[in-house]
Amino acid sequence: MLTLTGLRKTFNPGTVNEVRALQGVDLTIEDGSFVIVLGMNGSGKSTLLNAVAGTFIVDSGRIDLDGHDVTRWPEHRRARLIGRVFQNPFSGTAPNMSIAENFALAARRGRPRGLGFALSRDLMGPLRDRVALLKMGLEDRLDNAIGSLSGGQRQALTLLMATWLKPALLLLDEHTAALDPKSADQVITLSEEVVARDKLTTLMVTHSMQQAVSLGDRLIMMDRGKVLHDFRGPAKKRLRAEDLIDLFDEIRRRELLDESAAAMLQSLYV
Amino acid sequence: MTLLVGAFTIGLILALLALGVLVSFRIFGLPDITADGSITLGAAVTATLCATGVNPVFATAAGMVSGALAGALTGVLHTKFKINALLAGILVMTALYSVNLRVMGRSNIPLMQHTTLGTWGEDAGYSLLGDRGLMVFGWRVGAGEIALLVGSFVVAVLVAVALFAFFRTHLGTAMRATGDNPQMIRALGANVETHIILGLALSNGLIALGGSLLAQYQGFADAQMGIGMIVWGLASVIIGEALTGGRSLGLTLVGAIMGSVLFRLLVAVALRWGLNPNDLKLITALFVFVALILPGLLKKIRRPAQLTTVPSA
Ligand SMILES: Nc1ncnc2c1ncn2[C@@H]1O[C@H](COP(=O)(O)OP(=O)(O)O)[C@@H](O)[C@H]1O
Ligand SMILES: [Mg+2]
Repeated sequence: MLTLTGLRKTFNPGTVNEVRALQGVDLTIEDGSFVIVLGMNGSGKSTLLNAVAGTFIVDSGRIDLDGHDVTRWPEHRRARLIGRVFQNPFSGTAPNMSIAENFALAARRGRPRGLGFALSRDLMGPLRDRVALLKMGLEDRLDNAIGSLSGGQRQALTLLMATWLKPALLLLDEHTAALDPKSADQVITLSEEVVARDKLTTLMVTHSMQQAVSLGDRLIMMDRGKVLHDFRGPAKKRLRAEDLIDLFDEIRRRELLDESAAAMLQSLYV
Repeated sequence: MTLLVGAFTIGLILALLALGVLVSFRIFGLPDITADGSITLGAAVTATLCATGVNPVFATAAGMVSGALAGALTGVLHTKFKINALLAGILVMTALYSVNLRVMGRSNIPLMQHTTLGTWGEDAGYSLLGDRGLMVFGWRVGAGEIALLVGSFVVAVLVAVALFAFFRTHLGTAMRATGDNPQMIRALGANVETHIILGLALSNGLIALGGSLLAQYQGFADAQMGIGMIVWGLASVIIGEALTGGRSLGLTLVGAIMGSVLFRLLVAVALRWGLNPNDLKLITALFVFVALILPGLLKKIRRPAQLTTVPSA
């Protein structure tokens, strides 16, 4: 279970570049729940995931994950509980190392790394079987540098790596946004399979309305660093792409309104 | 012949320097120039201990450990105090110059009168081969020289094999990933800062071991002996990559040893042909400069050539 209480984060506080990226996020995610995160650009989706992963320490608020208060844990310590796939296919793998070595690293996520041989038989057998299921022909290329693969192949492998040891929480941040449509579909199908099979608690950011309505059992929409809407259960099932587009329009209209109101106030009083 | 055997031996000893530079520059991608200080530190500590009659094995180990500590210090300055890696190395290297003088108590310690790994090796050579030595390609080579050559070879190979094995363990693999993609390995739970500190300790430990063995081979330690060593190590690594293609971990390690030996042979031949020793560092620096920009230049030259061949194909 993930519980976020009053999360706040301001970047570059006190400067002209000040951004209040999280302005009090409260959210509880039950075990096994698959949550879609939507929101306009800059609404704080990535910042929310980064806050949970520990890329930075939040200004205030509290993060409880799997029975631990992880608010002050550094990123590498939280990795024991969290699997991640980034938007950029280059971020999740070590390009100059082989596929097998990348998995050897993932197979020790959050665990002590000693002087045992990394590419042990215990790893290689299951690895070959699992990679073969991707039907990408990669099981015969486990010794190849992972940097020689396509973005789609890398994201698929990164997803397998992130879930090789079952994480208490899986974070997917627009992990198909950089892919061509066909690869994106493959990776989405794989994500669905993996999450369903291991009943993973998942937070997935996407900008695809189609993914947002077809995946997950809950959907939250963020706006200006807060959770604006939260649909779960039957309400989530009933959502259609048009409903989501309406919600986005509403946000846009209000932003326009705010801007014109600000402009009016400015012309009146300044 | 003696000249060549000597160059070969020094090349093998300084292969440890090349391996250390390989770890910091290539595996971690950190321009660590602590090397100039740590190679002297290894020599200084070992020479000082040998001169007081300490067992040479212990003296050598102490030299290596002190180098590792110096490297760890650079790592701490870089990771914990967020000092640029190059500057952190310069700070430690500069500080080590004073430390080395303190350790030695003077600027030069001769070891001719003392028991070192070098004298052990020579004694072993004489007891195995006798006074006449060996005939190599029709040249007589002294038993002592042969023994030191073989000894250096064994050390270089052992260290390379140990490194190869280490970088295939869980910890070693994670350390390589730290250089390759820190964001990824952090997300997989590794403490990147600790890895960098460990890596620089390993690198400078190897380099100090090279300095320690060099002092015992040439029979003295000198406060100036480290100047420019980082560039020599880099030159060896670059030659090694050119020789092996540097495709895999094993090849890279073998390449560093071969590069170091070839570099020393080239230097010996050049000196023999009358190159002024004072110009050596200038020429080495030029060589590294050319080697660094050459791949980019070649690409520029090749690209137009490819364009002309495509339409005809
Ligand atoms: N590391 C950072 N430094 C400064 N500003 C940041 C940083 N990360 C995000 N921001 C800002 O915070 C806001 C929210 O960004 P983000 O969470 O990336 O939005 P998105 O919902 O598009 O993922 C944006 O205005 C962005 O510019
Ligand atoms: Mg984002």
